[in-house]
Amino acid sequence: MTVRELSKALGCEELKLPEPDREVEGCYCGDLLSWVMGRAQASQAWITIMSNINIVAVATLCDVSCIILSENVMPDDGVLDVAEAKGVNILRTADTTFGAAAALARVTGNE
Amino acid sequence: MKELSLNILDIAKNSVKAGAKLCTVEITEDRETLDLKISDDGCGMKEEFVKNVTDPFCTTRTTRAVGLGIPLLKLEAEQTGGSFSITSRHESEYPDDHGTVTEAKFYKNHIDMTPLGDIISSVATLVQGSPEIDFLFIHRLPGGEVRLDTRELREVLGDDVPLDLPDVLVWIKENLRGQYDELNAKE
Repeated sequence: MTVRELSKALGCEELKLPEPDREVEGCYCGDLLSWVMGRAQASQAWITIMSNINIVAVATLCDVSCIILSENVMPDDGVLDVAEAKGVNILRTADTTFGAAAALARVTGNE
Repeated sequence: MKELSLNILDIAKNSVKAGAKLCTVEITEDRETLDLKISDDGCGMKEEFVKNVTDPFCTTRTTRAVGLGIPLLKLEAEQTGGSFSITSRHESEYPDDHGTVTEAKFYKNHIDMTPLGDIISSVATLVQGSPEIDFLFIHRLPGGEVRLDTRELREVLGDDVPLDLPDVLVWIKENLRGQYDELNAKE
């Protein structure tokens, strides 16, 4: 499933989609950036409530397919511009991290 | 990071990389705040680089495109309501007085405060990783201070004993532990 397809399936808001056709393979949830840095795997969707510029750096480092901001968190100023420049997809959902992860598992058949 | 002491390790390694002869780590605590100051006499950074140093996409590393040591420390300080600053004097402009000072203020009672963690191990790791450099560690607490100065160690041990010998590292850890225990006993 691509990031755009995932976004549609979860009813996410597409804040920035420079790479809509990237394949999503699995999911990682976490907010402590230094922890996520060493654990999120390439192509996973990463669900977090953190909203500062460092999330784009972590996403680049881990090469995740997209960041999903849960609980309607709004990214800080400038984050979306950097995401565009670095090719990092950012989605947003009103759902909790658990809710978003559960929905992702459902739509990707990983239940 | 899960412990501030790991951040300290990370920032002090920048000092080592900058060719510092002396790296000073100061932690000053009162009931409400923790002030962290890491200063060195390394090559320093040019003004333009200092401006960008809290940008996670700015790094001296060549193995990857992002550096997160400083951005994460800044984030951790600010998420407690504290502050962060970094000032530097590059050797090209200040040939006799160059180096970098990184400072962060934390409000310890904030729920998002990162615990200090195992600072003794971090200090020992620093010495072990760069035995040729001098480290001055001062932790000021309300009841007194804990201190380690590798220059004093060298004076006692002489130039032939490298500081990364296991016996020296064990001594450093036990000595620091002893100083903390003494302070705790006073309280």
